[in-house]
Amino acid sequence: MSNLEKYKEAFIKALEIEKSKFSDKIKYNEIPEWDSIGHMSLMSELEEKFSITIDTDDIVDFDSFNKGKEILGKYDIKF
Amino acid sequence: MDDRDKNIEVIKKFTNEVRKNILEMAFSAGASSSHFGGALSIAEIVSFLFSYKMKIDKQNPKFIDRDRFILSKGHACLAYYAALSEVGYIAKEELKTFEKNNSNLLGHPIINRKLGIDFSNGSLGMGLSLGIGVAIAAKKMKKNFKVYVVLGDGECNEGSVWEAAMAAPNLNLDNLYAIIDKNNFQQTGSNKEIMNTESLIDKWSSFGWETKELNGNNIEEIYDYFEKNENLQRPKAIIANTIKGKGFSFSENNNDWHHKVLSKSQYEKAKEEIKNNN
Amino acid sequence: MIVNERNIKIWSTIGSRATFGITALELAKEIDNLMVLTCDVSTSAGLDRYRKTYPDKYLDLGIAEQNLIGVAAGLASENFNVITTTFAPFQTIRCCEQIKVNIGYMKQKICMVGIASGLALGTLGFTHCCIEDVGILRAIPGITIISPADSLETVKAIQSAVKSQTSTYVRLTGVSNNPIVYEKDYDFKIGKSIKLVEGKDLTIFASGTMVYNSIQAAKILKKDNIHCTVINMHTIKPLDKQAVEEACRNSKLLVSVEEHNVIGGLGSAIAEYKSSIEKSPKLVILGVNDYYSKGGEYQFLQNEHGLTPNKIVDNIKLNLK
Repeated sequence: MSNLEKYKEAFIKALEIEKSKFSDKIKYNEIPEWDSIGHMSLMSELEEKFSITIDTDDIVDFDSFNKGKEILGKYDIKF
Repeated sequence: MDDRDKNIEVIKKFTNEVRKNILEMAFSAGASSSHFGGALSIAEIVSFLFSYKMKIDKQNPKFIDRDRFILSKGHACLAYYAALSEVGYIAKEELKTFEKNNSNLLGHPIINRKLGIDFSNGSLGMGLSLGIGVAIAAKKMKKNFKVYVVLGDGECNEGSVWEAAMAAPNLNLDNLYAIIDKNNFQQTGSNKEIMNTESLIDKWSSFGWETKELNGNNIEEIYDYFEKNENLQRPKAIIANTIKGKGFSFSENNNDWHHKVLSKSQYEKAKEEIKNNN
Repeated sequence: MIVNERNIKIWSTIGSRATFGITALELAKEIDNLMVLTCDVSTSAGLDRYRKTYPDKYLDLGIAEQNLIGVAAGLASENFNVITTTFAPFQTIRCCEQIKVNIGYMKQKICMVGIASGLALGTLGFTHCCIEDVGILRAIPGITIISPADSLETVKAIQSAVKSQTSTYVRLTGVSNNPIVYEKDYDFKIGKSIKLVEGKDLTIFASGTMVYNSIQAAKILKKDNIHCTVINMHTIKPLDKQAVEEACRNSKLLVSVEEHNVIGGLGSAIAEYKSSIEKSPKLVILGVNDYYSKGGEYQFLQNEHGLTPNKIVDNIKLNLK
């Protein structure tokens, strides 16, 4: 599975979004599933999937699907 | 006699009985003394509610759709117990146990729904919050019962009263009534001397309540207000101007009677006065 | 709620407050007459999702804690199942008398949840810390007091408290990334302490986040051949007296650890009961030594008040001499 697929799957699983409703334009607090609780679930899922520990600053800055890709780049995750 | 006159007659008779019961309990309290003055000032209010206005079931104090009554100024419980006795919930014999050891009837109401005492009160400033909770419950259960809370004017010193006063209009509780017994005194002296509440009607009105000031010892005024005022979307605050100790010559407007022992001679004198009222 | 490894990790990451929010959300699905009342703290209590999903089962009364308790009691008197929540000092001390009269005396059943108790909010100063809540509420008859050890225990404590017939105060400690004590599901019963580590030399009674710290301390001590029993006293009132009796029989030393004043909390509760047991070993009460220190981050304050695993170890060694 590619990193991009893993990444997308993390979103779907952690935020409990239906696959059909998923879009790569999603942003934090713009969909009901991605609230503060959903966000922490997502961080947890990404840490597990990619075997990394995400910095607090990065957790705060991570506010969209696309921004997230940029942030994970810091942890050597290439898409 | 039209309906209004008949109803008022019934309420007045009930009020007289309430005052008699208050007198008996105060006397039987003996050296334990009692909050005589503050109970007497609300005799008309409590009588109007229990003999006429409130929806109750005389056979069943726990009637699920009953109107709820909360005596936030709990020390005026003599009037409350007296009214509950006239309704039939508390036996006359039990009234004699007032403030005795192990009694159900202490110097402040202790919850006892078999006797019709719906809540424990006495620490001032708490009853209106309770009333709000009950009023919200009524709305959620889609029930029509009303909630009547009687507070003291001195009690309005308590900040917690104002927390509740702020909340009720915000919650659109048009099924809630706050009746403030404005007898102008508190324990140590007059309100003006201790902590001047200034204009209570302005305060309650500015908090968003539908307000009315009336003579709380005049049954006609109380009756006419309640007959005309329903369904106004906001909770209602009634500033009832009353006389502390109302009903007996020695206690009227005499703050010594906030909490005092009733002597035998005073008791005999009071009995004469109330006999002449019948 | 499904208790599995994944959820345990998520609940740990989000911390006890947000875990409480999720638990309330699940409870609202099955309990029709549930009401959650707060004082202007929805996000802080993890209740944003709850608030949006069940607006009819939620009521924010603004910054007015005395009114909170009275309103909760009024609802409870009409058979609603009520949870109240705000920051621990305001949930317990600000409205203490209302708790006494409405919950203790009049026995209206309410589940109170004090968030960010102990030293979690030390950067805001001690007005927002709470080292007094257990001591104060213990003195009011009729209130069960629970301090969950981790986020999973938070779920169980809230569920049990809501379903109980007795009023409860649930004291939530810790911050996000709340250390995991329970890696698997387990049986939780109000009033029944849980022995997590067994050792012949001494017994550590701990509550809340200090359970984890005590387990770590026990590991360090083991390397020095000092063997500790560690007991999670999640229910501080009613106290598990049998656990205290057993410890008195089997240990040379008793230690209590809590994120609370040494006066009035878990240690005091144990001391009170222990004083009736003849020839019982010494009890060392570890906690905040009855003073308000300068503020700071959570770890900093734990260190300042001797509550890190290393400091617990030092204290124990001092008392074993």
